Amino acid sequence: MDTPHPGPDLHPHCTIVPPYLLVRLAKLDDPRFAQAAAAARESLLRDSQIRQLRGGEHPFTYSGARTLPARTPGESDRTISDAGGQERLPGRRVRAEGQPAGSDPAVNEAYDSLGATQALFWTQFGRDSIDGLGLPMDATVHYGKQYDNAFWDGERMVFGDGDGQVFNRFTISPSVIGHELTHGVTQFTANLQYEGQSGALNESISDVFGALVEQHTRGQSSAEASWLIGDGLFTDQVEGVALRSMKAPGTAYNDDVLGKDPQPGSMADYIETDDDNGGVHLNSGIPNRAFYLVADALGGNAWERPGRIWYNTLTGTGLGRESDFAAFAAATAATAAQLHGIGGAAHNAVLQAWVTVGVMTGRE
Amino acid sequence: MKVIVSRSGGMAGIRLTWEVRVEEQPDPATWADFLNSLPWDDVTDSEAAPDRFAYRIRCAPHEVVLGETQVNGPWRDLVNRVRAANGM
Ligand SMILES: [Zn+2]
Repeated sequence: MDTPHPGPDLHPHCTIVPPYLLVRLAKLDDPRFAQAAAAARESLLRDSQIRQLRGGEHPFTYSGARTLPARTPGESDRTISDAGGQERLPGRRVRAEGQPAGSDPAVNEAYDSLGATQALFWTQFGRDSIDGLGLPMDATVHYGKQYDNAFWDGERMVFGDGDGQVFNRFTISPSVIGHELTHGVTQFTANLQYEGQSGALNESISDVFGALVEQHTRGQSSAEASWLIGDGLFTDQVEGVALRSMKAPGTAYNDDVLGKDPQPGSMADYIETDDDNGGVHLNSGIPNRAFYLVADALGGNAWERPGRIWYNTLTGTGLGRESDFAAFAAATAATAAQLHGIGGAAHNAVLQAWVTVGVMTGRE
Repeated sequence: MKVIVSRSGGMAGIRLTWEVRVEEQPDPATWADFLNSLPWDDVTDSEAAPDRFAYRIRCAPHEVVLGETQVNGPWRDLVNRVRAANGM
């Protein structure tokens, strides 16, 4: 582990240590760094209190840090590493912020889509990176051999090459990259527990902002967008267009080997299962469709009113770690009412969407 | 005697299952010894992590659920052997 060694000047009242370093320090188990880790935890706690007090301003620029160049809020700070087919992280650093594109499409795609995700969160929601404080975006590509997956490990995004028969490389889809990065945003905000309905909400939020990254980059309105997650991820040998459809859950693929897309689009078809942490990638179809229905009802760009309602809900105080669909539905409705007025088009669209997918009864 | 490995979750959320009937393998005794040697009773709960695979491994009377990061050592060996016997 290439943990930076804390210098003797690390102190709870020192504000020059960038938050990402504090996060790493705070997680250190090594007893040699126990004191520094405790200090870092304290500092993080205090910073988050300051952040709450300032109500979403962007208090940090790193102009005082000696180890980092001055940073303008909202600028991306990406580092792509190459695991070279191993399952060891982070791998060899191959591209840092500002360096030109090379010949490896996985590196270029990761770099570009991380930039697109930062652009969405910063320009539309005023959020500076994953933690809102300019956390560097670290990603590793070529993880494992024929690895059919991508994930967020709590600190970085990790992408496999796929097996080439069912899956292409996971960086091929901007919505997948946006999905992974959003897991980081959720971790730093509502931190929805990855199990059952709260887990399905965690998944759905990643799909929502993953889809918005693509739509925002392509300049597609709600009506023009595909509402697919993982478009292009399947090889030509698979009967399917993507991993999931937010517009029509359960229709993304129907294949001899993979079977049929099992996602439900309403509570009537909710899946009770012990697998997949209680079906978090399955039941996410229900809140996914609710978001689509709001976007469809309001028209225009989905990252505007619908995206802002979901973003404020995710980062506000109305959600707990174990919030279920009903709690999330109520929180989005409250946010819509707060932003656009009770009984306004946005509020009504949100209520109607949750009724359509069976989470609300219409008597709320 | 059979062993069933089912993998769920992952970013794709696609469930795949591989099965091996030990009697039908060219080396059933080696399979049986290997299955009996696995640390079935030592498995602890894993913390759920976004988009990681979850493995459910069944070999009556045993059944364990392993997070992706727990599939190491003999469990990794088992998953690889079962997948190889299924040609993927
Ligand atoms: Zn996910």
